[in-house]
Amino acid sequence: MLLEVKDLEVTYGRTKAVRGVSLSVAAGEIVTVLGANGAGKTSLLRALQGARKPQGGQILFDGEDLTGMTASARVARGMALVPEGRQIFVSMTVEENLLMGAYLRTDGEVKRDLEGIYDRFPNLASRKDMRASVLSGGEQQMLAVGRALVSRPRLIMLDEPSLGLSPLFVQRLFDLIEELNSSGISILLVEQNTHMALSVAARGVVLELGRATLSGPAAQLAADPSLAEAYLGAA
Amino acid sequence: MLLIQQIVNGLMLGSVYVTVAVAFTLTISILNFLNFTIPTLFMVAGMVGWGLAFFGLPFGLGGPLPWPLALAAGIAVAVACSLIVERFTFRYMKMKHGDSTEHAIPLVSSLGFLLILENLVRISYGSDAQRFPGPGADLTANIGGIFIRVPQLVSFVLVIGLILGLVWVINATRTGRGLRAIAENPDAAALLGVEPNRIVPIVFMLTGMLCGLAGALFAVNYGEVSPQMGEDIGSKAIAGMVVGGLGSLWGAVAGGVIVGLIEMLTIHFFGADTVQAAVWGALLITLLIRPQGLFGHNAIGKGKL
Repeated sequence: MLLEVKDLEVTYGRTKAVRGVSLSVAAGEIVTVLGANGAGKTSLLRALQGARKPQGGQILFDGEDLTGMTASARVARGMALVPEGRQIFVSMTVEENLLMGAYLRTDGEVKRDLEGIYDRFPNLASRKDMRASVLSGGEQQMLAVGRALVSRPRLIMLDEPSLGLSPLFVQRLFDLIEELNSSGISILLVEQNTHMALSVAARGVVLELGRATLSGPAAQLAADPSLAEAYLGAA
Repeated sequence: MLLIQQIVNGLMLGSVYVTVAVAFTLTISILNFLNFTIPTLFMVAGMVGWGLAFFGLPFGLGGPLPWPLALAAGIAVAVACSLIVERFTFRYMKMKHGDSTEHAIPLVSSLGFLLILENLVRISYGSDAQRFPGPGADLTANIGGIFIRVPQLVSFVLVIGLILGLVWVINATRTGRGLRAIAENPDAAALLGVEPNRIVPIVFMLTGMLCGLAGALFAVNYGEVSPQMGEDIGSKAIAGMVVGGLGSLWGAVAGGVIVGLIEMLTIHFFGADTVQAAVWGALLITLLIRPQGLFGHNAIGKGKL
């Protein structure tokens, strides 16, 4: 397993956002985490990337215990998070945003990787010296994914990437996710777009009030009548 | 001719304000933090420089140092003080009592450091103004009837060089991108591997260097240092920063020069008594007519540098 999470607990003040969640992502696999607002999906991802200190449990990446490691150490090991709401740097140019993805890289191949990103996203190439604030929502999402790619990750975690995108861009985004996956990158996809997420994922986990209430192969989850209920947050 | 001389003097004085205003701007734009220790760091460099040149090293370790070496040591002490301030105002107090969005704690604890540092200097060197044994007055160049003291010219060039270097670092280097990233969105920056504990000290180091250099230049150019020397410079630098536009580096440069010019021209036309009224009047007018300042924008603390 590339990523293995055991009994993870994350608390915000008195709120227990994640209550003993276990999940795993195999190398080359797409796993999706589904759930309503407030189910603990974002808290889970933030704890995985090291932005939030978990109160309990264990996170193993490629067999290595990540407990106590900074976000920077996790990026260096090949984890990348595309955060909720994209969080690109609007005061920087498109290219500077991509370079932020290479912040920890010291090798000389960053330029070549940027060319690769520009080939993949021509819209970014033509605007590379403009401020990222001029990009449309969809382009900003592509930039956020591109920024994560520049760190040369083995695992990309995406937090609700389809949020606020037009149907056209949603389709392009999920195509992109499958493309990245077929190039060997493992993906942990947090989504509210259950249908689309299950269509690309091999396996899924449903979070409800911080607990994993349902998990299994994507096809099985897609057919599960209780999923609609869980997704809508009806308890 | 005298008027041109005053304009030259105003530019020279302005360069001191510029340096301190740029230091204020850095911490405000990147860390959203009004660092009250900045005028004190300015003073520490001047006073420590004077102390080393006059008394020599502490604990009888050595006699009086030559003044350039003493000032260099003063700048180093200012940088060290600034890093200590970072450790306690920014890192320790914030981690212990607040979260990353807490801004009141660093502000108030930097006020505490202002008092601590200023009084340490008073205890060590007394509270009187001292004459700084700089280069003699004979180092004056006469360019077409305008007198420019060579140290002033050198310091003017130094300030310009330092600011151009700073702009280059911020705009074109990896460290600069990291600084701008934590300025705009510390959370996203951390997710990409920018470590605040590594990069925030850089801001404080630059602050210490700028203030130290300004203090050293002031000591050389005006030949006098005192434990209170930071107060007037600090408040005028803030005035300059606001006139130029809070949060803009070039605004701080323009504002500092403007305040220096206003000060010298007011002395020329109306006498020294009216300087304070002119400087603060200019600030008031700016706030009334163009509250964001000459080069300012309305997004302070939102990572626009």
